Amino acid sequence: MTTLIDRAMEDSVARDPQAPVLTFAGTTLCYQDLAQQSDKLASSLMEHGVRRGDRVGLYFNKSIESVVALYGVIKAGAAYVPLDPDAPTARTRLVMDQCGIDVLISHPPMRTKLRQVLACRDGGDVVRCVIGVDDPETGAAIGLSWEDVSQAGPFLRPDVKEDDMAYILFTSGSTGVPKGIMHTHRSGLAYANVAADTYDVRPGDRLSNHPPLHFDMSLFDYISGPIRGACTVIIPEPYTKLPASLSKLIEDERLTHWYSVPFALIQLLEHGALDQRDLSSLRWVVFAGEPFVAKHLKNLMARLPAARFSNSYGPTETNQCTYHHIEVGDLTDDRPPPIGRIWDGAEALVVDGDDRNVGPGEQGELLVSSPTMMSGYWRRPDLNDKAFQSRRGAAGNTALFYRTGDMVVDDGSGVLRFLGRKDRQVKLRGFRIELDEVEAAMTCYPAVDEAAAILVKGEDGHDAIIAALTLKSGFDADVTDEIRAEAAKRLPAYALPERIDVVERLPRTATDKIDRQALARDVQPSRLAESSPL
Amino acid sequence: MKESIRRFISDQLLSGTAIADDDDLLLSGLLDSMSVMRLVAHLEKAFGVKIPPQDVVIENFTSVDTITAYLEGKEAA
Repeated sequence: MTTLIDRAMEDSVARDPQAPVLTFAGTTLCYQDLAQQSDKLASSLMEHGVRRGDRVGLYFNKSIESVVALYGVIKAGAAYVPLDPDAPTARTRLVMDQCGIDVLISHPPMRTKLRQVLACRDGGDVVRCVIGVDDPETGAAIGLSWEDVSQAGPFLRPDVKEDDMAYILFTSGSTGVPKGIMHTHRSGLAYANVAADTYDVRPGDRLSNHPPLHFDMSLFDYISGPIRGACTVIIPEPYTKLPASLSKLIEDERLTHWYSVPFALIQLLEHGALDQRDLSSLRWVVFAGEPFVAKHLKNLMARLPAARFSNSYGPTETNQCTYHHIEVGDLTDDRPPPIGRIWDGAEALVVDGDDRNVGPGEQGELLVSSPTMMSGYWRRPDLNDKAFQSRRGAAGNTALFYRTGDMVVDDGSGVLRFLGRKDRQVKLRGFRIELDEVEAAMTCYPAVDEAAAILVKGEDGHDAIIAALTLKSGFDADVTDEIRAEAAKRLPAYALPERIDVVERLPRTATDKIDRQALARDVQPSRLAESSPL
Repeated sequence: MKESIRRFISDQLLSGTAIADDDDLLLSGLLDSMSVMRLVAHLEKAFGVKIPPQDVVIENFTSVDTITAYLEGKEAA
């Protein structure tokens, strides 16, 4: 059985070497070319001292080369570390220094940023080799262009094991220091396979690639597709900003699979001119990353009657771990759809605050044991101790479980519903309140587009829940009283926001999720005094 | 028209960053999808035109130049 990610991709080369595997802005790469170019890159990396277990940084905008780099690095036995091309220079440097990156692969459009990152060195390691941007100003001892790489000698495959690291994804840690989530060939391939099975990825299928390389959802596009003989259509940056162009691309490229955060789909629904597009090629529309507001999802499903919709869930630490294929009946109330069942081969437990298993219908934290799970955080044993727990599973076996920090409830048939982050449960005047529940109550009101609720620590211990929301076009801010009245039907009085702010837009993270930390920073506690009493 | 579009983008959407009329606004680091929506709303109000969703596409919104050409085309029509 194939146990390495790159070997699994090469099974597709054997099947049909001329089939397209990647396409981007008018350029298409076939399987044979992906295999040969990644061989050359792997040889070049090894010629320049990269060894099994090393970490190699990938610093790219959306491109075909970035995927060649992914496969080249893991073929050389190293782990790829995707760096956010839009992150501030200092943060990128922090990630590089944390995992000792001294070899970077990039491409010419990143030249200016690359110079900045290499110049910003605060006691960190020297980057000794830069591949893909031949630029003496980088200061690297070795600089190779992509043309140089194509001249590398024959590839001698190193001895790579399935428990070797394949990639490290960095996410923001609660203290502001990014944490590196390590995945092996085993965990990465387990995910790529189970996702490809769940969403029936076949040769000839055409997958979207919306998320950037440093976001875990890109693994479906860059690995699940290639191991099954599909073609991944990398969406150029400008299309992600103009929904009407994006919908045209879906039509023109005859995409069969779409996978993104809900935000991109809501944008498509509201601004994508869908009534003028033929998107009947879509078989699967899969979303993950945050709850999909039910009314938007219902509208989108009505627009795309031929596609099946599925909610996929899982922290980056697990790749993904549950899925739920949406039926219209799931959306009869205003709640977001369930996150569904645990993947085959994995196990889910729901536990209370004392780590005791709870039964169906009871809320608790979701613990997951899965072959798709990370091997741990990069050089952070303290975090590993908190994240993992060895305990008895349902079958009496002892297994390693990952604590998701997400609160869920099992509906009695193994279908899980996401309730909110464990750390999004706040206490206000002694009452436990789920901020996610407050948000859900706000978005039930038809005029509300999106909502975010936060707990603001006020002066004199005057804490308050504040909701910020965006309205659909055509509504103005004076509907807040009605929204409050509507929310009061769904929420206990103590959970009602003290203030409802209508904002033009909500701050978003680099991955297009609502950025509640930024929102909390924006809110002026002093303005609490101005709010009207409940 | 061009001057006012450039000023709105620079002042309101890019917190003062200067731009040229042929700069690609859709490359990373400049406009995001929400800024594009704000820009469309502003153009509709400032120039009294209706911009349907199917017109908010790359060909029309790549740069200050293309936005101006699009709006002028609408006026002429």
